[in-house]
Amino acid sequence: MLRRNIRLRREYLYRKSLEGKERLLYEKKRKIKEALQEGKPIPTELRNEEAALRQEIDLEDENTAIPRSHIDDEYANATERDPKILLTTSRDPSAPLTQFVKELKFVFPNAQRMNRGGQVISEIIETCRAHEFTDVVLVHEHRGVPDGLIICHLPFGPTAYFGLLNVVTRHDIKDRKSIGTMPEAYPHLILDNFKSKLGERTANILKHLFPVPKADTKRIITFANQSDYISFRHHIYEKQGGPKSLELKEIGPRFELRLYQIKLGTVDQSEAQIEWVIRPYMNTSKKRKFLGD
Amino acid sequence: MATKSEASLNLDLDLLHRLKSTEPPVWLAPRAELSETARKASKIIFSYLRTYAPKSPLDQLLIEGFDAEQIWQQIDLQSQPLLSSLKREVKKFEKKPEEIGKIREVLEGEKKVVESVGKVLEGERRVLAEESDDFDEDLDDGLDDDDEEEEEEEGSEGEEEKKGKGGAEGGIEDEFLKINELQEYLEEDEAREYGLKKDSNDSRKKGGRRVLDNEEDEDEDEEDEDEEELGVFGDSDDNEEEDEHRQKLENAGYEDFFGSKRKKAPKKNLKSIEELEEDSGLDDEEDEDEAVETKKNDNLSTHEKQSEQLRAEIEKMEKANLDPKTWTMQGEVTAAQRPKNSALEVDLDFQHNVRPAPVITEEFTASLEEMIKKRIIEGQFDDVEKAASLPSKAPRELKELDENKSKKGLAEVYEEEYVQKTNPAAAPLTFSDEQKKEASMLFKKLCLKLDALSHFHFTPKPVIEDMSIQANVPALAMEEIAPVAVSDAAMLAPEEVFAGRGDVKEEAELTKAERKRRRASKKRKFKAEATKRMTAKKARDNTLLNDNDGKEE
Repeated sequence: MLRRNIRLRREYLYRKSLEGKERLLYEKKRKIKEALQEGKPIPTELRNEEAALRQEIDLEDENTAIPRSHIDDEYANATERDPKILLTTSRDPSAPLTQFVKELKFVFPNAQRMNRGGQVISEIIETCRAHEFTDVVLVHEHRGVPDGLIICHLPFGPTAYFGLLNVVTRHDIKDRKSIGTMPEAYPHLILDNFKSKLGERTANILKHLFPVPKADTKRIITFANQSDYISFRHHIYEKQGGPKSLELKEIGPRFELRLYQIKLGTVDQSEAQIEWVIRPYMNTSKKRKFLGD
Repeated sequence: MATKSEASLNLDLDLLHRLKSTEPPVWLAPRAELSETARKASKIIFSYLRTYAPKSPLDQLLIEGFDAEQIWQQIDLQSQPLLSSLKREVKKFEKKPEEIGKIREVLEGEKKVVESVGKVLEGERRVLAEESDDFDEDLDDGLDDDDEEEEEEEGSEGEEEKKGKGGAEGGIEDEFLKINELQEYLEEDEAREYGLKKDSNDSRKKGGRRVLDNEEDEDEDEEDEDEEELGVFGDSDDNEEEDEHRQKLENAGYEDFFGSKRKKAPKKNLKSIEELEEDSGLDDEEDEDEAVETKKNDNLSTHEKQSEQLRAEIEKMEKANLDPKTWTMQGEVTAAQRPKNSALEVDLDFQHNVRPAPVITEEFTASLEEMIKKRIIEGQFDDVEKAASLPSKAPRELKELDENKSKKGLAEVYEEEYVQKTNPAAAPLTFSDEQKKEASMLFKKLCLKLDALSHFHFTPKPVIEDMSIQANVPALAMEEIAPVAVSDAAMLAPEEVFAGRGDVKEEAELTKAERKRRRASKKRKFKAEATKRMTAKKARDNTLLNDNDGKEE
């Protein structure tokens, strides 16, 4: 188990190091392809290597044509199996926080909740690797109000750090009967307005927390981005009457997520490379939108 | 009373002297006579104090048959309330030392007693308590004898005593809430307020005293009731001072609270004007001039009035310019340079560098839900898609066993087998073979057509001659269903029947040389074949080796 991990990690790092060269090659091939398509002469710097590259282009198929980065590799095998999530909290959680985590357990299908106790983060990650979990989700709080969410994808995957705002939990709603029980079917997903590259990456991370649903489920989870604040909503719909008439009923907690960091490693790797971090102190940060539109 | 007290006093003193004179070591061992004298002495002292503690339940200290603990308890009963009131007295004297002087005058007469008793009892433990008790008694005496003049000052003390006793009985007080202190403070406050009107009130009080006498009884009753509950407003049975206070409260008017307008208002005005003068730095003369001028307002024309106003404004602004600027106008200001908490009062204007967090309004939720509904109706979701996995092995062909009962009987099965062996052409083809053959034939035709269409240089595939066994059966039998006539013509041509030369000899007919010849020719053939095979094999091996080399590389 340990040696396998070490080998996997070494391969991963090797592929990561090759990326630079691959990218160069890809760029050259792309230029040649363009030149051939448009009927223009091939650029002079590529004349020597043109023949070899042309051969390679011919032999390519759709898998090999796209340059693979280690970033995409993290989720390459994610679609083959259903995700398995472990939910836990920071140490000494308050009662409202434990309630919130219980609700989240039902939101993510195939999720398990664990008491934090006095465990260290590295221990948690070790046990998750041993039991083949795909994701670990940690929830933090401030005086009873949940205020932080950390999603860590497991085989050395990326870690996304979110801040939570405007949290409304199911426990807050007093009228128990109207809200009913939470359905546990695999939900459909809506990821709206994740247009930039970073947005795509975040959408990917959030998407792979959920398994492949059946086409006819009535449960729908929405992550809608508006000026870098992602709104999480959870609905059940019913098509009454004829077409175009739809009734939405909101169930489940609702909160706003705000991404502030993505790290290219698991939670316990504090020295991992930071893919993106929020910089609010810059003068232009008010004008810029990072997650798209 | 005096003579009696003197005689008894001498006796007591005697007893006490005796107690005092005993050597300290003598006290260590219990002795009957010592204890007797001590008891008697304490009884005497108790009875002394009895006069000044009217509320103690015991008339006499009971010593016969009681042990030390019980006697001590009795003494405690008497002295506890006195102790607490005395503490308060001492505190009061701390604040107002002049009071002590007054008391001293009153106590002149009884001073001797105080001193003598005090001296004798210095060694004993109860000295302090008794002295305090004595003072208390003296105060009480003083009150009884005093004139009206002193009642005001001492009235409060008397009240406090009573209140002290009442308070202890009330059980409300603890170390924090001292109702007596509260009352004291209230009265001080009132005295301060009413201080201005004290003199006038005094006369009123004296005049109305007799009138109030009737009311006093009622008041006393009320007070007694109150005493048991709270004791807030005191419980002085003897004191009329309290009533007067109450009267003052009830009849308080505007002037008592706010003072007379005439006195204070002009004072304030004068004060403010003086301040302004100091700040502005104007000459007194100018001020006076201005004051004089303003008084003549009615005589000026409108133009002059306007110019006056302008001038006043200009001077105000000039004055403001000369002043040091307020901190908000001073550029960079640290916290030390501005007054405390002043930054909270001013509207500071600065740019926030962070976009504010979104407020979730109804419209926001509505727009979100609109978007969701649209997506659902379109069916456009961003679900995770399962990637088609590449098959690692070819799917195994599973032969399906038909579980149904065979429709053909066993005899028919044997019949078909026989027919197949003898007459393969006539045998009916099986189901799966038929289909397979049909499919393959169709596919071959299709491929042929496509090849013809798609290749520039089309070479049609060589026609594979279909091998079919021609049975040497008379043609008529094959071609006709019902043989009408039988013909001799055979299907096969004579060459097809036998191909070979004429000299065919059997083994038995051969001569020895011919036999050898045959064997030699056979051998030759065999050898040729063998060598051919060997060379073919070698060639194959060589190519394999080459391939392997290539692979390893």
